[in-house]
Amino acid sequence: MRSTAAPVLAALTAAALITAGCGSKGSSGGETDSGTLTIGAAMSLTGSLAREGQLTKEGYQLCQQKVNAAGGVDVDGKKLKLDIKFQDDTSQPDVAAQLVDQFNDDGVKLILSSYGSANTQSQAAVIERNGQVMADSAGADDAIFQQGYQRTFAVLSPATEYAASIIKAIDELATPKPKSFAFMSADDGFSKTGAKGGMDEAKKLGYQVIPAQYFAEGSTDVSSAITHVKSDRPDVVIGTVHLEEGVAIVKQSHELGLQPMAFGETVAPPTPDFTKTLGRLANGVLGSSQWTETTAGEDKYFGNAKDYAADIEKEFGHPADYHDAEASAACLAMVMAVEDAGSTDPDAVRDSLAALDTESFFGTIKFNDKGQNVYKPMSVIQVQDGKVVTVWPTDAAEGSFMWPATGS
Amino acid sequence: MSDLNETAVEQRTPRPVEAPWHRFLPWGALIVLMLAMLGLQSQLYVGQERTVTTILMFVALAQAWNIIGGFTGYACFGQVVFFGIGGYATAVMMVHLHVSFWLALSLSGVGAAVFGAVIGLPLLRLKGHYFAIATLGVAEGMRELVTNLPRLTGGGAGITVPTVGEDATTAYLGNDGFYLLFLAIAGLAVATALLISRSRFGFALRAIHQDEDAAAAMGINTTRAKVLAFSLSGLLTGLVGATYAFQQVVIFPDRLFDVEITVLMVVMVVIGGSGTVLGPLLGAVGLQFLSEYLRNHYTNAHTFILGAIIIVAVIFLPQGLVNYVREARHSGNFSLLANVRRFRL
Amino acid sequence: MARHWLVTAFLQATVYGLLQGGLLALVAVGFSLVWGVMNVVNLAHGSFVILGAYIGWELNVHAGLDPLLGMFVAAAALFVIGYALQRWLINLVVNAPIFITLLLTFGLSLLFVQGMNIVFSANYRSIQTDYASTSLTFGEVRVPLGRLLAFGIAVLITVALVAVVNRTRTGLAIIATGMDRGAARLMGIRARHVYALTFGLSAALAAIAGTMVGTIGTFNPAAAGGFTLLSFVIAVLGGLGNMYGALLGGLLIGLVEAWAGLYLSGTWMNAMAFLVLVVVLAVRPSGLVGRAYYAARVEV
Repeated sequence: MRSTAAPVLAALTAAALITAGCGSKGSSGGETDSGTLTIGAAMSLTGSLAREGQLTKEGYQLCQQKVNAAGGVDVDGKKLKLDIKFQDDTSQPDVAAQLVDQFNDDGVKLILSSYGSANTQSQAAVIERNGQVMADSAGADDAIFQQGYQRTFAVLSPATEYAASIIKAIDELATPKPKSFAFMSADDGFSKTGAKGGMDEAKKLGYQVIPAQYFAEGSTDVSSAITHVKSDRPDVVIGTVHLEEGVAIVKQSHELGLQPMAFGETVAPPTPDFTKTLGRLANGVLGSSQWTETTAGEDKYFGNAKDYAADIEKEFGHPADYHDAEASAACLAMVMAVEDAGSTDPDAVRDSLAALDTESFFGTIKFNDKGQNVYKPMSVIQVQDGKVVTVWPTDAAEGSFMWPATGS
Repeated sequence: MSDLNETAVEQRTPRPVEAPWHRFLPWGALIVLMLAMLGLQSQLYVGQERTVTTILMFVALAQAWNIIGGFTGYACFGQVVFFGIGGYATAVMMVHLHVSFWLALSLSGVGAAVFGAVIGLPLLRLKGHYFAIATLGVAEGMRELVTNLPRLTGGGAGITVPTVGEDATTAYLGNDGFYLLFLAIAGLAVATALLISRSRFGFALRAIHQDEDAAAAMGINTTRAKVLAFSLSGLLTGLVGATYAFQQVVIFPDRLFDVEITVLMVVMVVIGGSGTVLGPLLGAVGLQFLSEYLRNHYTNAHTFILGAIIIVAVIFLPQGLVNYVREARHSGNFSLLANVRRFRL
Repeated sequence: MARHWLVTAFLQATVYGLLQGGLLALVAVGFSLVWGVMNVVNLAHGSFVILGAYIGWELNVHAGLDPLLGMFVAAAALFVIGYALQRWLINLVVNAPIFITLLLTFGLSLLFVQGMNIVFSANYRSIQTDYASTSLTFGEVRVPLGRLLAFGIAVLITVALVAVVNRTRTGLAIIATGMDRGAARLMGIRARHVYALTFGLSAALAAIAGTMVGTIGTFNPAAAGGFTLLSFVIAVLGGLGNMYGALLGGLLIGLVEAWAGLYLSGTWMNAMAFLVLVVVLAVRPSGLVGRAYYAARVEV
């Protein structure tokens, strides 16, 4: 040991001491006088959330492009070029949090969130203590907003709305009316909150509720939950899930002969992968969406929802996903808040985000005192002939509601 | 499994008489290094405090694994279980019992050590791969258990340590505080490894690594030594986990019991040189620094590049950096190609 | 009604668990073979499974090839990749302590998973067939056709593998090298080639399993780690290098998960699987079918 260790340790020490000699601690400043506004974004570009992370990145990129094409961010009469720094959090909440700290170390105070509730929740804690500000594009779980945080603002509707909107839509549109709702849920925070929101809504509307069957997040085998639910012969099966579990529910229900009047699922149905992987089995499945091409409203950077969809299609070669839209909306909210504040100071931006009340391609962006956007309804979509069709709210509907939904 | 260490021990046997000050050199170096790190924090650099904190965390983790995996040669593949237990014990105690972080930290460390002793007794009877897998099973099983006790642990939704408002039992340490705490734990881990490497206990562990039956025949109480090593390694890992939980504020079972964290510890120790004190230190600093650098500069392909670098490192330096340098100095042959030939079929 | 449901549910879960277990066995059998013969824990095994699934998917989408045929193409491709990897890379360190090969394959898995991420994107895929989600009905118990097919193929291949290994010269060379490499080389067996063959065979089996996985479920690159972990558990349960053991281990894990899901909750499925693993290791450290470790290394 000693023969090698001592000299190397000595060398290390020397190196440390030499580094010690140069420079002094301080903030390097994210917003420089060269006319750029730097915003940090830790994304899930690799790992289990890479797919959603990529979509989120596209949303941020499009936002940067649009804002800069319009001349940049107008801060107190001066046009700043928007520069979003992307980092990969490898889909791990602790890395996402660490990256936010690193942005802070570099003087970047304005942050756009990563994908998913776990990542965002970890980031929100860091944001709060560092005095940064975060626009949250994809963390919907209520747990994020029950901590008393003052510096995280989510443009998207909260997790409780995901399943509840599907139930509201069915209640409003279905004839004959179903009698019972069964729930299946993944066991992560977002999904559980969603299931709870859905069950409360169904009870409130007077339906029979079959309590949720839980399975591990990311399960591709949900057969035992289906076997349980099948014995209760529910009219509607609601899954509060992400894509993998959502596909498994529909596929395995078919295999195991569970045939309710309809399946409704969170997150999964509007994504192109859902219809691609399920083929005709996807037909009739209901889903909730943060945004669709028929969402009302417009803004100066993106235009309306239709324009937005066309831009995504043009830039990235695929139909717009709501994950794209919520990311762009978060970025938009941050940009507008900076413009309203006329300053890039994080406290000023925080205050103007809290006061923000605007229409956009994403619908209303406005936050309650917890930082949630409860002023925008969710849309309900239905897969019809392999296409995602908005069916609720009725004033934004593109097609008629197919009921019972599982005819094929 | 033992090629690596046979050479290391052969060299050690003809022990040259050393100047008395020589024994204290590593300790001196450690102290100077710690002081330098303190200096580094208080006035030195711009914008990398959090990065260095993470590096310190991995130094402690790698060194902890080195005690059971490197010195003793028991390939613990579920080391992350101590990390998770430390983290969850701290979070649960702070949330439900409203104890201060410092008390929770100490209790979590002790808890992890006791857990190590309890599972060590049956599991350390298993050899080689079977020990590896059994510990992996324990870690995965523990994750599932934590996930399935939502009332206590928050389950898959995670648990939030109170850091603001009335529920906060200990003021949040801030980035400077965590830097110091991780520095202290890393220092403790390195000091523990240094102590072990030169003590009778350390020689007992190495003897077990070489040939357990022979060690027992020589009068070493192998069970006691192994369990003690495992427990010590658990203690250090548990302390890191506990601190990590408070630093993160929100923790999730999937990450706290992530097998990837074990793999990282193993990678760092093996690349640096297992069974040495310096190896894990260099391995952790080097690998963590590298992966941070790659992530910053190659956002989309960094794991790809990291994989390639690990492959190259393994092919050219299978015995780890420190062991390679030591052997090369001994034999005067620094050829990496000779090194490649050594384990080739 | 209640008792009726209990019986049906039990039968349904059992059937489902067995079918699932057969597929898991096919995933694990190659992993077990490599570990048993060469003492290499291949952490990249899961990424071979996923790569196989992608090849099957590409062939299905772009050439309209049924996965039942596509799986042979995938197997051939992975055989070549596996052979090359072992011959020119892993053989370089195959005599090193097990951690070295572990690290090497860890590096490989990073490379493969991120490579697939870049090439195929992280989007979820599934191989579409007309028959995979159709079910046969026996009373109230349903047997999904896709899973039944996958199960049949898994069992068939395992049996065929045992036959090949036991009855052909190449197979016997694999066993002999696994038992005593030195002696085998003295007998004129080219160990480098035999190791490469074994690894290639293992990768080919993973590819077949992957194509089946892609047909009955969804996959993306991030799923690789889960398959490696499952292979680990099943290989150990069955006894390393023991191919029938892997089959038994797979079926056991499938059943335990299905029953745990039915009688406890879906969230307990993995916990029970690992509990079984730890218990089996504590009681019979060499696996369900194996003997003591080295004696059982290539017990076929």
